[in-house]
Amino acid sequence: MQASPKLARTLSEIRDGWIPAAIYSDPDVFEQERRSLFTRTWQFVAHESELPQNGDYVVRNVLNDSFIVARGDDGVVRAFLNLCRHRGGQVCRTESGNTRRFVCPYHAWSYKTDGTLVGVPYHEEAYGSEAELRKADFGLHAPPRIDLFNGLIFVNLDPAARPLADCLGGFATYLEFYFPAPPRRVELRGPQRWRFKANWKIPAENFSGDAYHTPHTHASTGQIRLVSSAATTNRRAGIIYAIDGGSGATFRLDAGDFAERLRSVGYTDDRIAVLDRSLSPALRSLIEKDGVIPSAGTFFPNFSMLHLWARIDDHGKLAPFTTVRLWQPISATETEILSWFVADADASEEFKENSYKAYLMCFGTSGMFEQDDMDAWVTLTRATQGYLSSSVLLNSRMGLKSDGSALHGPVQTFSGPGVAHLGFNEFNQRRWLRMWADYLEMSPPAPPLPEPHPEVGRPKE
Amino acid sequence: MSPQEAGERPILPFDHPMHLAAHRFLVREAHAQDRHDFETWLTMMAPDVVYQAPVTATTGAGSHKAGEMDHFAEDLYSLRMRVARLKSNLAWSENPPSRTRHFIANVCTCATAKPDEVRVWSAILVFRTQGDGSPDVISGMRDDVLRQVGDELFLVRRMVSLDEAVLRTKNLAIFL
Repeated sequence: MQASPKLARTLSEIRDGWIPAAIYSDPDVFEQERRSLFTRTWQFVAHESELPQNGDYVVRNVLNDSFIVARGDDGVVRAFLNLCRHRGGQVCRTESGNTRRFVCPYHAWSYKTDGTLVGVPYHEEAYGSEAELRKADFGLHAPPRIDLFNGLIFVNLDPAARPLADCLGGFATYLEFYFPAPPRRVELRGPQRWRFKANWKIPAENFSGDAYHTPHTHASTGQIRLVSSAATTNRRAGIIYAIDGGSGATFRLDAGDFAERLRSVGYTDDRIAVLDRSLSPALRSLIEKDGVIPSAGTFFPNFSMLHLWARIDDHGKLAPFTTVRLWQPISATETEILSWFVADADASEEFKENSYKAYLMCFGTSGMFEQDDMDAWVTLTRATQGYLSSSVLLNSRMGLKSDGSALHGPVQTFSGPGVAHLGFNEFNQRRWLRMWADYLEMSPPAPPLPEPHPEVGRPKE
Repeated sequence: MSPQEAGERPILPFDHPMHLAAHRFLVREAHAQDRHDFETWLTMMAPDVVYQAPVTATTGAGSHKAGEMDHFAEDLYSLRMRVARLKSNLAWSENPPSRTRHFIANVCTCATAKPDEVRVWSAILVFRTQGDGSPDVISGMRDDVLRQVGDELFLVRRMVSLDEAVLRTKNLAIFL
């Protein structure tokens, strides 16, 4: 399917950094995203730490597809559609818990936590028993693809999707700052879930590298000294980077060696020792040599992470924290946020609690940073819905001269992989939107459903 | 947790002086919140206040997983910081400020093991609108502990059980 002429023009303008305002509220654009983008990108559903025991499950959506992510009796984590193979009832109506069976409330077909059908009431009378209806053929549908990265569980609705590791590419180096490789482990706490009337792309772009909004949007946090100056007023000294499936920003740290720099954002000596042992050479050099530390990042399209620190008491004690979030679209103009707090599993309880307090003060539903982001994003979405306003071309050309050449070249000495730029610019947001435009030009993949997934199987002939 | 679940002492009669004092406290607090007089509101907090709103999750065992994740888990320091932010004129989320109305109902109280503290349960419905925006409604139950010092009551602990698993308000830049 060819993109419509209107969409083709939109995408061409986007590639030049001129953003038709309509993309942040137009239902037709959302429909195209639903069909062409969310059907073939890796979608975060859960983290392994949310499912510590066999039988633990969470229910997560990819747009309107509800998936159960469960740890089976064999300890394996799987995902399957929350849809009874008989008449389509939701076999799980809670959002998390521990169970031995998922039982459809309609006719009571029941499934094990590995998705296999184990109970069909009146099997013999109603269907003529196993010879006529083989239970093995009617397990819950698996999503076409499921893949993991350091405990993060993603699904993909496209059977032909490239592996998750390929899609992450070099971004994995940065993602490991937030989600380190074994033997380190993180635990997720949450999520907080809330809905706000804004398009999902706005936060995804913002986390991909918008350092420019911080001094103004988050001015109040500097005023009350919630954070040190590195996090707000000195943002122009940070470096943004982009590679393969993701991009992000960093904060500039004060002068000092590796340990001093980490201490300056609230890391305790025991945590610094762990980071000293475990950080990859690139991440270590980022802190030690380049003098920056990762802040926000987005793995295309809608999975974002953030690292920051805050003063958590009257004595000025600093605590760093990490959060990860999913920007889950509800419609063109509404998004549900799932926001988790992330802690190193082996950190002391005191460190975790301090870190958690810093998170709640800064991000999430009540966070003093996030509150103001929400407000800007809601007004943007509302403002773009007019007949006239929807046709305005928004300027996303920061860091470019009028002839399209870069105002400043990339940072040559950056320790991390990918292309890096210093200070305020919109290289990452333009890159994110170009990736978005590439997907929107693709025809929707043939839906793998209602054809049953081969691993689950239809009745044998 | 409801009074019955808490297994506390009997509910005080509705004309009991302590019940009336607690009810007056809640009304005075709601008025302060709704006129954005957060400095007065802060003076109603005990120095060791714990102000918490756990995330409501629909689980098999019930609808709460208290203690795992919160919307708020505040002490006096963080409440003061939030109020200072609101007064900074740079808190865009509340500029212009939300118009809120805290409706308080179903108030009941009981004595606690501490002679100077009373436990108070109440239902709250918070109506919130900003500019021309469509209103948000937040519904929940408060489980409070108030402490009497001299003639005054102070909030020692508030646990707000929200009725929604997914909040339908853009942020909690307001207090519950």
